Amino acid sequence: MTNDPLKALNKKLKDNWTQYLLAVISIAVFIAAWHLYAAYLHENDSGYQGYIPYPLDVAEALVDSFRYEDPNLGLTMFDHIAASLERILLGFVIAIVIAVPLGLLMGTFRKADAVGRPIVELIRPIPPLAWIPIFIVVLGMLWGPVAIVALGIFFPVLLNVMFGVRSVEPTLMDAAKTLGANRSQMFLKVVLPFTTPYLMTGVKVGLGIGWMCIVAAEMVGNYGGGVGYFIKDTADVGAFEYMYAGMIVIGLLGILTTGVAGLIEGRLSRWMGMK
Amino acid sequence: MDGHEVNPCIDIQDLFKTFVKGRKEVRALANFSLAVPDAQFVCLLGPSGCGKTTVLRILAGLETKSGGMVKVKGREVSRAGSDRGMVFQEFALFPWRTVRKNIEFGLEIRNMPETERRKLSSKYIDLVGLGGFEDAHPKELSGGMKQRVGIARALANEPAVLLMDEPFGSLDAQTRNLMQKELLRIWSATRKTILFVTHSVDEAVFLADRIVVMTARPGKVREDIAVDLPRPRDRTSSDFISVRGRVLAELDEEFEKARAKELSPD
Repeated sequence: MTNDPLKALNKKLKDNWTQYLLAVISIAVFIAAWHLYAAYLHENDSGYQGYIPYPLDVAEALVDSFRYEDPNLGLTMFDHIAASLERILLGFVIAIVIAVPLGLLMGTFRKADAVGRPIVELIRPIPPLAWIPIFIVVLGMLWGPVAIVALGIFFPVLLNVMFGVRSVEPTLMDAAKTLGANRSQMFLKVVLPFTTPYLMTGVKVGLGIGWMCIVAAEMVGNYGGGVGYFIKDTADVGAFEYMYAGMIVIGLLGILTTGVAGLIEGRLSRWMGMK
Repeated sequence: MDGHEVNPCIDIQDLFKTFVKGRKEVRALANFSLAVPDAQFVCLLGPSGCGKTTVLRILAGLETKSGGMVKVKGREVSRAGSDRGMVFQEFALFPWRTVRKNIEFGLEIRNMPETERRKLSSKYIDLVGLGGFEDAHPKELSGGMKQRVGIARALANEPAVLLMDEPFGSLDAQTRNLMQKELLRIWSATRKTILFVTHSVDEAVFLADRIVVMTARPGKVREDIAVDLPRPRDRTSSDFISVRGRVLAELDEEFEKARAKELSPD
């Protein structure tokens, strides 16, 4: 804690300013380098220029993708984003509903851990993407990707919740006991609140993985839309500026969701007085 | 007030405790007996590892005994309960709860209605001098303030006894002295029976009506010393220093024994 909060705030703002400035400069340099490289390929007629469009063309494609329907499915980028978001959201809800109680159970009871752990350790090393072929075939273009996303979010949430439960300080449990709490009260009033910030960390990590899963899962589909589908589809017809536009959309959405999750995580743990 | 009344508040007779560590059995307590009358302030003193914290934890119901009898207010202790309040060296405050909510924890557990809860927590917030900090979280408090919360939280349950496990052990010397005075003030306002574990002779002589010096492991009572000095006690007075010297001599002998035991395998 500093003695002068105004001074500290000023310093923080100044630090933030330099940080923002550096971020803008670094992105500008990146785009300039991209532009120069594209120009170089076009000048020399290298045969690769189609793969590396000018940044400005990509920007135009990005805007157009929101304004016009694509010829294949008749969907705008809004529809694709909505389709991807729907899958992420469903996958997220399914993962949470299963992973949180399971994590609490396995974190609390040795026996549950002994039963659950081998299965978890068996399935966890398999990348969620390895499930794409079977899930798409069996579950189709909505629930297939949803299942893959759910799988991607499931493990970080499960493991973080388990870790949270195990991290509960024994003296807090002792204190609760001497204050008259029974087992279920200790669980509700000590274990659960203690674990909440850990759960949020799992959610943040899980959402990041979820976005990676969704693109790949949507790429194998040929209907139903989604940003992953858009990327694959535009690449197939050689509209690479659109493909890049789709990649940018996915990137931004990823930043947005993990950003929001991170914000909630920070707010929550500060509000709970744990940070 | 020599601890042999008819109905002592704390009544421990021939307490045994054996820990199993791997294949080895460690005898922590053997034939430990202690009777504490109502409203007495007793300090448990002894070399580290003598089992003084174990006595407290058994009384609190956080540890099971291996043998003997442990009674509080005439009732055999078998599990933790709100009739015995405990104050921890590490404070053990719930970080996500504000000061008030920490103090109300035990009352929530008992499903006390909110208005009643607020009244009680306000009373103890005032008693321990935490006014103005009701809505602060523990991380915003200094060590001394944290322990005020710990004490208020234990007292809010209105227990028969207050068990204190080196409560000021992690505070700096200044804060520690202040908290000792504060504790005496709180004690005289509530007249609780207090069993206070410490390894500071100075602290024990300053606080206690009676100092129980324990032997090295397996712990039992070595010496039961009544401290008849008037309060507030002056640490520099000759009486204080002479009591301190006597307790220190007892303790030193036990330290030596503990050391000798450590050096020779049993």
